[in-house]
Amino acid sequence: MANSQINSFILYLKIRAKAYIYKTRHPSFGCGVWSPMLKIRFHGRGGQGVKTSSRILGRAAFLDGFVAQDSPIYGAERRGAPVISFTRISKTPITERGFIFDPDIVIVMDETLLNDWLARPLDGVKKGGAVFVNAQPGFPPPEGHDDKFFITYDLTGRALEILGKPIISSPSAAAAAKITGLITKSSVLEATADELAELDLKDELLEKNIQLAAEVYDAIPSPVINTEESGSITREISPLDYEPVTYEEVIHLDIANLGNSALRRTGNWRIFKPVVDPEKCTGCMVCIIYCPDSCITLNENNKAVIDYDNCKGCMICLRECPLRAISSVREVRVYA
Amino acid sequence: MSETRFKTLRDVPLEEYLAPGNPLCAGCGATPVLRMFLKALEGRAVFVNAAGCFTLLHVYPYTPFKSSWMYTAFASAPAGAQGIRDALDILIEKGKIQPEEDIKVVCFTGDGAAYDIGLQSTSGAIERGLDFYYLVYDNEAYSNTGFQKSGATPYAASTATTLPTKLQREGHTGSKKDLFEIWRSHKPPYVATIAPSHIVDMLRKIESASKYRGPKLFISFTPCPTGWYHDTSESIRISKLAVECGVWPLKEAIYGEVKHTYTPRVLKPVEEYLKTQGRYKHLFHPQRQEHVIKAIQENIYQYWRRVAETEKLDIIIPSV
Repeated sequence: MANSQINSFILYLKIRAKAYIYKTRHPSFGCGVWSPMLKIRFHGRGGQGVKTSSRILGRAAFLDGFVAQDSPIYGAERRGAPVISFTRISKTPITERGFIFDPDIVIVMDETLLNDWLARPLDGVKKGGAVFVNAQPGFPPPEGHDDKFFITYDLTGRALEILGKPIISSPSAAAAAKITGLITKSSVLEATADELAELDLKDELLEKNIQLAAEVYDAIPSPVINTEESGSITREISPLDYEPVTYEEVIHLDIANLGNSALRRTGNWRIFKPVVDPEKCTGCMVCIIYCPDSCITLNENNKAVIDYDNCKGCMICLRECPLRAISSVREVRVYA
Repeated sequence: MSETRFKTLRDVPLEEYLAPGNPLCAGCGATPVLRMFLKALEGRAVFVNAAGCFTLLHVYPYTPFKSSWMYTAFASAPAGAQGIRDALDILIEKGKIQPEEDIKVVCFTGDGAAYDIGLQSTSGAIERGLDFYYLVYDNEAYSNTGFQKSGATPYAASTATTLPTKLQREGHTGSKKDLFEIWRSHKPPYVATIAPSHIVDMLRKIESASKYRGPKLFISFTPCPTGWYHDTSESIRISKLAVECGVWPLKEAIYGEVKHTYTPRVLKPVEEYLKTQGRYKHLFHPQRQEHVIKAIQENIYQYWRRVAETEKLDIIIPSV
């Protein structure tokens, strides 16, 4: 065992011992949460307010007298691409940094992420932890996760009704705060107001956000999270045994395929989808020309056809169609 | 531009050279330009890409391109293009590829690389007479890294580094570099400005540029929903407004001779353009900064007055 590994193991034992002492002295801490620290991971898409929601939660915890830490991580992609952010809440100073691999609570702000092989939001969630999914009613919980609480609420739908925008930073933070069972409603609302004011939001929009956060806080149940059993990291680390790869195998990989980006399925990014009315469409090509993602083609009847696997829902086609033959429909999907 | 195969939108080739599913933002104003560029070149091109948003077109293992792509550092896209061009020329000379099999070398850079970091290497490439295409997608800031001010940021725009403050209420206090004029002063065979809303104009320009041997440079207006804070569906409409308000003149210069290819009959007030974008919000909210709007408007009118005079154009310019 390398020296650093021994050191980290000793540190781990120390933390556990400390936590144990803490638990025995303060049995009420964490409403049944046995953990030196509560770890919350937010998964969403760029533009939904993932970073802001972790900040709101962190600030709300701080207002309630906890020590809090929050940080986002982006990939080399942008608006619409998977984004993760982390919040740690504790009564003692937090020495841990970086990614959260073993969260107690996961907030999935876009249900299509559940099937995204890069985002993998349910990875490492502790046994007995809680998973919140922003989905429409009737959402079936994913298989193989019976040991976790699943809570769903249609945040995007409510945000569209109240705010008029699919930005769900404040309601996600409110949901997370309620699920922790530690953070009071007044702190969440105060934190929402503070954080959004820093983003220079209009007062009217700010009030609507607070209204939405309050509504979600009241509607979400507060499950008793009991992640005691798992204790340490439950994430399965794949063993490092591999077979030598031959040249032929490498060449068969996707790298040799030109124009293979259609496999990415950026269609999961959209919240509204454009729908062409074939009665009105004359095949004038305007939508085809202005589509930034080459997602529209003409079919044999000279009508525009949209590639829903990759359409990001920017709605330039709707805006530019001279005949107004394209309408916008709220996307309803389960794990697209 | 007498003989052109592009007369209306129906003449746009249907063949697609850019596959869907690239990871750029929804509603990106640069990808329609890129698509049209590839259509006009019929896909027979090798791309040299300086650091910028377009870097993300090609994230391993996925690519939307059907031809080769090379990624260079910020400053060195034209240098990369020079290397590829030389290699192709040598292969042709040695008879390893036939002259009709030749492919075009195209540089894509953002405004950060074109206006600031890569300006000298482009200047060198134009001076050497390198036979290449250069496309700038100008979204007026370093938007790949979080929308910081670049040399292309226009007066009064709010960016991550030129936020409107109590002391500088107008946002960015400097003005946009005139890259068209900088490049034109080198007298290259072809320089033009294009806009994603004016597709036929763009295709014609690429077509007429292909007649020349040497540097062929294009500066494209590029609405950026993420950095300009507008709805993703507005990109093309904003581009149209920019042309109609006179903010983005569509012009070309052949060996230094400027000609405006599209002139709005009546210039729309610039306010219409400014109001569409969140980066100019501070000019109207909480208080209207009349003197700033007036200064922007006067600047545009001045430009068009000069153009109307030198090119004998019939434009109605209201007096402020």
